[in-house]
Amino acid sequence: MKNPVPLVVRNLSFRYQRRSEYALRNVSFEVHPGRVILIAGSSGCGKTTLMRCINGLIPHTYHGEMEGVIKLFGKSTENMGMAELSCNVGTLLQDPERQIVSSYVQTEVAFALENQSLPREKILPRIDETLSRIGILHLRDRETFSLSGGEKQKVALAGILIARPRILLLDEPLASLDPVSAREALQLFRRLADEGFSVLIVEHRVDDVLAINPEEVLYMDRGHLLYCGDVRGLMKVVDYRSIKLPAEIVFKRARKDPIIQFKPILPRASRKQLLTFKNVNFRYGENTPQVLHDINLSVYPGDIIAILGPNGAGKTTLVKHTLGLLKPTSGQVLLGESDTQKCSVAQAAHIVGYVFQSPSQMLFADSVRQELSFGPRNLGMRPAEIVKNVEWAIKTVSLEEELETPPLALSFGQQKRISIAAVLAMRSRILMMDEPTAGQDYWNYTAFMDAILQMPGYEAVLFITHDIDLAIIYANRVLLVSDGRVIADGKPEKVLAEDDMLARSRVLPSSLLRLNQKYFHATGRYYRAETLAHRIYNDNN
Amino acid sequence: MLVPLTFRPHHTIIERFDPRARWIFSFLMMTAIVYYWDIRFLLFFFFISFTQYFLAHLTWKETRRGWTFIIILISMMVLINTIITSAGTIGAVTQGGHDVFIWNATVPWVGWNIHFGLTAERLWFGFTQIVRLLAITSMFLVLPFTMDPRLYGSTFSGMGLPARLAYSFDLAFRFIPTLARDFNVTMDAQKARGYEMDKVKGGLFSQVKKVAPLIIPVTMNAILSGEDIADAMDLRCFDTGKRTWIIKLTYRWYDYALMIFSGCVLISTLIINHGLNLGNFWMPDWFLGLFHNIK
Repeated sequence: MKNPVPLVVRNLSFRYQRRSEYALRNVSFEVHPGRVILIAGSSGCGKTTLMRCINGLIPHTYHGEMEGVIKLFGKSTENMGMAELSCNVGTLLQDPERQIVSSYVQTEVAFALENQSLPREKILPRIDETLSRIGILHLRDRETFSLSGGEKQKVALAGILIARPRILLLDEPLASLDPVSAREALQLFRRLADEGFSVLIVEHRVDDVLAINPEEVLYMDRGHLLYCGDVRGLMKVVDYRSIKLPAEIVFKRARKDPIIQFKPILPRASRKQLLTFKNVNFRYGENTPQVLHDINLSVYPGDIIAILGPNGAGKTTLVKHTLGLLKPTSGQVLLGESDTQKCSVAQAAHIVGYVFQSPSQMLFADSVRQELSFGPRNLGMRPAEIVKNVEWAIKTVSLEEELETPPLALSFGQQKRISIAAVLAMRSRILMMDEPTAGQDYWNYTAFMDAILQMPGYEAVLFITHDIDLAIIYANRVLLVSDGRVIADGKPEKVLAEDDMLARSRVLPSSLLRLNQKYFHATGRYYRAETLAHRIYNDNN
Repeated sequence: MLVPLTFRPHHTIIERFDPRARWIFSFLMMTAIVYYWDIRFLLFFFFISFTQYFLAHLTWKETRRGWTFIIILISMMVLINTIITSAGTIGAVTQGGHDVFIWNATVPWVGWNIHFGLTAERLWFGFTQIVRLLAITSMFLVLPFTMDPRLYGSTFSGMGLPARLAYSFDLAFRFIPTLARDFNVTMDAQKARGYEMDKVKGGLFSQVKKVAPLIIPVTMNAILSGEDIADAMDLRCFDTGKRTWIIKLTYRWYDYALMIFSGCVLISTLIINHGLNLGNFWMPDWFLGLFHNIK
């Protein structure tokens, strides 16, 4: 008898309770064993809802109106309990930190089988077998806090694989990983598919996933499945502005479209030092390892600096020094002429505006107006000045109509803009951003970065990122950080051209970098793929 | 990023005991302690409690925060409930006694008379209360520093708690430090906006309002994380039926000895208290002699 298909979805529609719009509409597809299926689409396209329907969170945890059929190995999921579902479908959530529920690797991996009440004698060998399978047996007795980002994800994956599901759902598995860890994770997913698993990957970073040759791509938009087929077909149907495609594809398709107008508003370059690090060393405590080693650098007006490097390299520690949130163990950090050792964080905030990675880490007020007034009021600005700055800041991020809305009721992208506006309203001279595009899809993140860098008011902008394309498109200077040292500092064309340096800081060359390098002789600088297409094709005709 | 836990193995005799035996011992001893207001009996428990503490080889650096909290808590209880008012005292101490300090004053303009009288009995009661509370708190303070966090779930499950409740201890030990880390991130984010915690002044309501920039983001993040964590647990069949624990706990002879000892102490306490009517508040005569001209 023919083996049943692992997953069949037929005419699936779903509407959440108390929502008028459907999150999914008539979605149908099949998943066969040994395949990697990429699910792509911009935020709100229904990817997460589809995953919840497959893994059983809908209807077991999230309720609503569901139509259609989902069959796992020929059996409808309608009457399956969570225990049976999780034996068939394993789900890796976006943030492994929120998936890991135990303090130790061994108990974390055992969790699913403990819940299924398997005898201890059967669980213990399964733990070793699963850890060995993904090459992390050496982590078995480690505490989960001590793991790197990539290791945490592998442990979370082991916690799923131990239940021996044949279908893996991976929800943005690359989101919290540096490029090298992301590549390793992708290779692992490919290997699992080659061993017979059906692997479904939801990912914004389409360009990266294509490297492991997914057999099929599902492209979704506003709850509808617009495309289901091979990768080549996707390139023909998808809008290259909504998801991140390989640079060569965008390069070919963008030349006939209108050129993107982007001109950062920053002062002309000068040699006046806004911020200076002089021989800065730092460690958190007397008996702890040194985190920063001999940092020497200056930030000048007109700088747009991308700070690249792996997780744990010291990027955030470095940036926190600029604001005096951390003080050097030895050496000096100067804001203009002032030593951060001698000024408070509040005083430093007049010069440096620091936007943390997640807006939910700072938003608290009853209305956006109050949120934006918070910083200026703390800095002792006069009421009339506060009103003026708040109005300017909200206008700059184009959210004037939301002034009386509670910030926590806004979408993630809007919250991100409000967090920038909250810092803008303080009228600082340098803007620092930690992973400004994290959690945003391609369309949103390019729109967001374009808007930020075209805002008036800043003399220099610095941002921490894992995304090398962000540095290529937006930075005029790149810092490569590795093991607490700045190993390269210069123009993107110079720093990103050195493959050895990139490898040392676990940065992988992207298709956009290679494309820019190919045409560098003609352009003399780096551009986004759309602009590069116009420079090469249209300028030559 | 996950953050580290308080536990670091010390390889002491204390850590060799089965954690179930240690929790049972601690609960039985605490139950026994609360029967006494006689310092002669309480000193016995105080000795046992601190013997355990020193055998655990804990350093001041490790337990400093815990002790600071305990000292503040005990000081407030004794100062407010016993010395300033007598609300926390028991019958024999509340009624009458030997005055050692009397203060009378009249509030100008309104003419209210204020009378404050402190008795030797209340002073001694305060001292007894300190010994009693120190005996209890030091008994429990040792536990998180000497117990492997992996063992909480299986320990409480082994003591008869439902698996769902037992696992919540594991989760707490896993996530409370993460919550502390999130609090620090929010603190830094708000400091970067010029917020200064030490400038939070005013009455209680205004102080609560002024810490909102810290409390609200931390709470919101915890709620959002909680949803993901609950999903992650549901997806791995948590609470769908009977549960096993891979960590196997085994009682040894000394665990039985510890539990029998604490059981005997509790039974003796019940006999002493209810049968012999001993263990109630007691103050030595020499203490009265310390105060001259007392009435």
